[in-house]
Amino acid sequence: MFDLVEVVEGRCQLRQALIKDKRFGDCLSILPAAQTRDKDAVTPEQFSSVVAQAAEQCDFVLVDCPAGIEGGFRNAIAGVGEAIVVTTPEVSAIRDADRVIGKLVERALPIRLIINRLRPEMVRTQDMLSVDDVCEILSAELLGVIPDDEEIIDMTNRGEPIALNPSMRLATIYDKIARRLEGELVPFTSFDSPGFFGRLFGALKAG
Amino acid sequence: MHEPVAQPTTEVLAAPTAPRGRAIVVTSGKGGVGKTTTTANIGHALARRGATVALVDADIGLRNLDLVLGLEQRVRYHVLDVLEEKISLDDALVRDKHSPTLCLLAAAQAREKDDVDETKMKALIDQLRERFDYVIIDSPAGIEQGFKNAVIGASEAIVVCTPEVSAVRDVDRVIGLLGNAFRPQLIVNRLRPALVKKGKMLSVEDVNAILRLPLLGVIGDEPEIIITTNRGMPIALQDEGATAAAYRAIAARIAGEDVAAPTVEVKDSFMDRLGSFFGGRR
Ligand SMILES: Nc1ncnc2c1ncn2[C@@H]1O[C@H](COP(=O)(O)OP(=O)(O)OP(=O)(O)O)[C@@H](O)[C@H]1O
Ligand SMILES: Nc1ncnc2c1ncn2[C@@H]1O[C@H](COP(=O)(O)OP(=O)(O)OP(=O)(O)O)[C@@H](O)[C@H]1O
Ligand SMILES: [Mg+2]
Ligand SMILES: [Mg+2]
Repeated sequence: MFDLVEVVEGRCQLRQALIKDKRFGDCLSILPAAQTRDKDAVTPEQFSSVVAQAAEQCDFVLVDCPAGIEGGFRNAIAGVGEAIVVTTPEVSAIRDADRVIGKLVERALPIRLIINRLRPEMVRTQDMLSVDDVCEILSAELLGVIPDDEEIIDMTNRGEPIALNPSMRLATIYDKIARRLEGELVPFTSFDSPGFFGRLFGALKAG
Repeated sequence: MHEPVAQPTTEVLAAPTAPRGRAIVVTSGKGGVGKTTTTANIGHALARRGATVALVDADIGLRNLDLVLGLEQRVRYHVLDVLEEKISLDDALVRDKHSPTLCLLAAAQAREKDDVDETKMKALIDQLRERFDYVIIDSPAGIEQGFKNAVIGASEAIVVCTPEVSAVRDVDRVIGLLGNAFRPQLIVNRLRPALVKKGKMLSVEDVNAILRLPLLGVIGDEPEIIITTNRGMPIALQDEGATAAAYRAIAARIAGEDVAAPTVEVKDSFMDRLGSFFGGRR
C-alpha cells in the first residue's frame, strides 16, 4: 500500500496509491495520509498537484483537513476550489470555525457550513445554539445539519460508512448533503431528520 | 575535566525538593476530545484545593481557554506579548473570577503557532513554575509546531482520549512522541457507560489495553459539560454532582493523594445519571 507522500515523492503513480472501496463499486477511492511522516513532508504546491491529478479522474475530490490552521491546513486547502466548514453548535467550536472561515475567505474560496452533533432537545431548552444562531454568527450558507447520534460513534468505530447504514434516518441526512453538493436544490425541511428536528426546522430558511 | 565550577551546579541539580511548581501539558493529538475542557476543570479543581495555578493557552490562532473559563472580556494581552517582551508577565496574567488562586495566560488569536520561539516558551513556563504550584498547558490538536510549543516547557503530560478508535490511534501516536520523559497519565473523556454496556462504545479497559497508561480519571459524556462550557462556568466550580466530584478526584490524584480507582466510582454514578437523563430530565 502506498500513501500520499509516496505519490508526491514520485515513488508510485496516483492510481497505484488509490484504494478502491469495494462497497461502492468503482465509485469511491481513498488516498491514505502517511502516518509516520510530518505534515511538512509535503508542500502546498505538491499537495495541490495531487489534488489536481485526482480531479482529472474523479467527479469530486474531498480533502479531509486536519484540525488547526498550521501546515496541514495550508496543504489541505491548497488545491481546492471550495470548502465545507464543519462546526459543532458550541461557542468554542464556532470561534475556531470563524477564524478558519476568515482564512478561507482570504483565498476567495466559496464556503458552505455543516453543523454537526446538534442536540435538538438542548436547543429547545436553550442550552445549545440553534442552526439559525450558528449560520447567523458565521454568516455562511448552510449545507446540512447532523444530529449528535450514538449510531455515528458506533459506525465510525467499526469503519462502516453511514451512507450504507440501514437506518434511513442517518443515511438520508448525508444523501441530502451529497445532492446539495451536486447542485440540486434540496429544501431544508423537518424531513432531514424525521422525529429529530421537528418544528426546529420550521424557522429555517430553505436554501 | 574537573573544573571547580562544577560544584555549585551539582548542588542545584541535587536539590529536587526545591519548591518548584509542576508544569503539566494536556494533549491528545486528536481534535475536539476535550483538552481545553479538561484544562479548565482541572485548574479549578486544583485551585479549590488551595493550590496556585496558572493555565496557559498554547493554541495560538485558535484560542478557547479564555472562553471556557468565561474570561474572554478580561483578556488584553497574550503569551506572544510576553515572549516578545512587549508586556510583563504580570500584566498578561488574567486572574480568574471564581478561583482567586487561578490565573490565565491567554493565547494570541491573530498570530501563528510558528511565531513562537520554543526556547523562550520554555523559559516562560520555568518562570511561571517559580510562582505557581501548577502550570497547566492546554495543547492544540495535532502534532505540528503548536504541539511542540505546548510540550517544550512541560515536565509531565496528561493525555485526553475519547473512547473512539480514531482518537485512540491519534493518542497512541502522541504517547509515542512524548516518550517516557513526561510520565503521561490518561483521562478518558466522554464515556457513555450505557453504550459501553450495549457493546457500541469502547470501554475504559479497551482504550487502555492499547494505550497502557496510568489512569488518572474518567469523565462521562455530559450535556451539562457542554452547557457549562458554553457559559464559561466550568463544571468543576459546582459543589454538587458526579462530574465535579470526578474532576476533584483527578485533582487529588495529581496532588499525589491515593484516591480510589476512577472506573469504579464513575460507572455507578454515571449510570444513575444516564438513567435520569433518559427518564426525561431534558
Ligand atoms: N454527529 C455525530 N454524532 C456523534 N458522534 C459523532 C458525530 N460526528 C462525529 N462523531 C464522533 O466524534 C469523533 C471525532 O470525529 P472525527 O474523527 O470525524 O473528527 P475530526 O474533526 O476529523 O477530528 P480531528 O480534528 O482530530 O481530525 C468520532 O469518533 C465520531 O464517532
Ligand atoms: N465530557 C464531556 N461531555 C460532553 N461534552 C464534552 C465533554 N468534554 C468536552 N465536551 C465538549 O466537546 C467540545 C470540545 O471540547 P474541547 O474544546 O475541550 O476540546 P479540545 O480537545 O480542546 O479541542 P481542540 O482540539 O479544538 O483544541 C466542547 O464544546 C465541549 O463542550
Ligand atoms: Mg479528522
Ligand atoms: Mg482546545
